[in-house]
Amino acid sequence: MTKKASDFLPLSQATYYILLSLREIRHGYAIMQDVEEISHGEVTMGPGTLYGALGKLEKQRIITITTGEIDINDRRKYYELTELGIDVLKMEYRRLSSLIENAKEFINHLGGEKNGH
Amino acid sequence: MAIKKFRFFLASNIEKEEAWLTEMSQNGYHFTKYKYGFYYFEQDAAVSYVYQTDFRQDTDEVYFQLYKDAGWQHMMSYLESFHYFRTEADKSGFKKIYSDPESVAESLQRMMNMYVAIFLSLIAIQSGLFLMWDNSGLVSIISSTIVFSVILLYVFLLFSIKRKINYYRKQI
Repeated sequence: MTKKASDFLPLSQATYYILLSLREIRHGYAIMQDVEEISHGEVTMGPGTLYGALGKLEKQRIITITTGEIDINDRRKYYELTELGIDVLKMEYRRLSSLIENAKEFINHLGGEKNGH
Repeated sequence: MAIKKFRFFLASNIEKEEAWLTEMSQNGYHFTKYKYGFYYFEQDAAVSYVYQTDFRQDTDEVYFQLYKDAGWQHMMSYLESFHYFRTEADKSGFKKIYSDPESVAESLQRMMNMYVAIFLSLIAIQSGLFLMWDNSGLVSIISSTIVFSVILLYVFLLFSIKRKINYYRKQI
């Protein structure tokens, strides 16, 4: 039986950022660099964690290895999101947004975000 | 100058081994290879490395390329499963190859699976031999003691790995 996008939620922080970085085709290290950049340095991913996550996501058909325009001397694999992957990412984004949205009023009531941390 | 040191670490103490290699490197001795219980080091006072070991059996060139790109130098692989990497210590502080508890737990689970498989085949082989033995005499006592010790060691190892997996899973 094929899995629906909702079956993969919630995503781990690492997975969420990997999928976000695959808005463009990238190889492993480029994903690590992009994740660090888009998370403003909050998330630095180790190669062990990334390699394991990519293998899992590929097996789940959330990402796929691109076959086009590959230099034969390049040992890297290039990844992109599948249709399923795009759905998973969008659905997770909506889930997280609604978590924030639903809490907003109460958090403001508690004295706002400025007292956080 | 190269030196060698004898040490024994259980696979479940992979972090202790990493810490030891990193500490040796801070003192100017940099691990290069492991063979038959001996760790070989090259001396160089000018550098210092952080050592990390990954356990993985399904590696390919993409795997090693990723580590290389990320600034980790592959030193050696043991049993084609334990991969020793290092990176320069002053490169943006303290780096780890696993950045979340989930992936550490998965790595330990892979290790656990391998040792369970080895353990079970060991038991299977030994019970076969045991049935054929003439269970008397000194040789038999000595070999039974060795086999029993090895089995105990494996049981201890498996429990240690399992305890670590649970520890990391709790942090997810």
